Amino acid sequence: MTMPITARPLIVLRLTTSPIQEIGSTPEGTLTIFPVTGGSFEGERLRGKVLAGGGDWVTARSNGMMTLDLRIALEADDGSLIDMTFTGIRDDANRYFRTVPRFETAAPRYAFLNRLLAVGTAEIRAEGPVHLIEEIL
Amino acid sequence: MNTRPLMTMQVRVARVLDVGAVPYGTRRIAPLDGGTFEGPRLRGTVLPASSADWLLLRSDGVLELDFRATLQTDDGALISMKSFGLRHGPPEIIAALGRGETVDPSTYYFRTMPRFETAHPGYTFLNRLIAVATGDRRAEGPVYTIHEVL
Repeated sequence: MTMPITARPLIVLRLTTSPIQEIGSTPEGTLTIFPVTGGSFEGERLRGKVLAGGGDWVTARSNGMMTLDLRIALEADDGSLIDMTFTGIRDDANRYFRTVPRFETAAPRYAFLNRLLAVGTAEIRAEGPVHLIEEIL
Repeated sequence: MNTRPLMTMQVRVARVLDVGAVPYGTRRIAPLDGGTFEGPRLRGTVLPASSADWLLLRSDGVLELDFRATLQTDDGALISMKSFGLRHGPPEIIAALGRGETVDPSTYYFRTMPRFETAHPGYTFLNRLIAVATGDRRAEGPVYTIHEVL
């Protein structure tokens, strides 16, 4: 039996970044680091703030697309810490910016995050990147 | 989230190697002895060499799947596929799967996120997409319904 795929909203994640760090040409492509200085996340089941100290390692590939490697720490409004890492593809020529987030937490209240797969749609707005993240059901 | 069908893939698990208790959980390796895939834009076979699923049963009961396979399309292109997945469900359902029984796939969570790499000009669209799959574990091996995330 094959099954359709369904999803439901998990969080909207807004990031603030400081000036980029251009590492330059590496064997993988052109690497730029976007330090994350903070932000917020909000959803029906969790909300809180993004802690400073994370970043997004963006590599521009030879085929014109960019790959992301983002890692940040989230602090929920009850003080729980959630580690979030995601990879993704940004292909401006095709207006395609999708991510695959993963979560890790020790907080029992948020243990459901350890057990789900998610997909994000992202866009760069004037105030910074905004990621709409959905849980794969 | 908008998606469209990419392909259905059926793989055959040759045998399962029990590596045992490793620092992060219980590791098993499931080499594949082949398979097939079929979709509107690509179809072909899964090559047995270099295709396997590395399974890690975590302490919270979730099975992590680290899958790698080499696909060969019917026109000869080679495509490398890697996917990360999770499988978990009610204990009695997971036990039934372990016994090789046929289980309704809607009764447990079996989802993966495939990524593709190819150099073949006919399939470079695969390099540029994110995909999501639902899995159905059958006795002879899993069947994946793979969707492109639009």
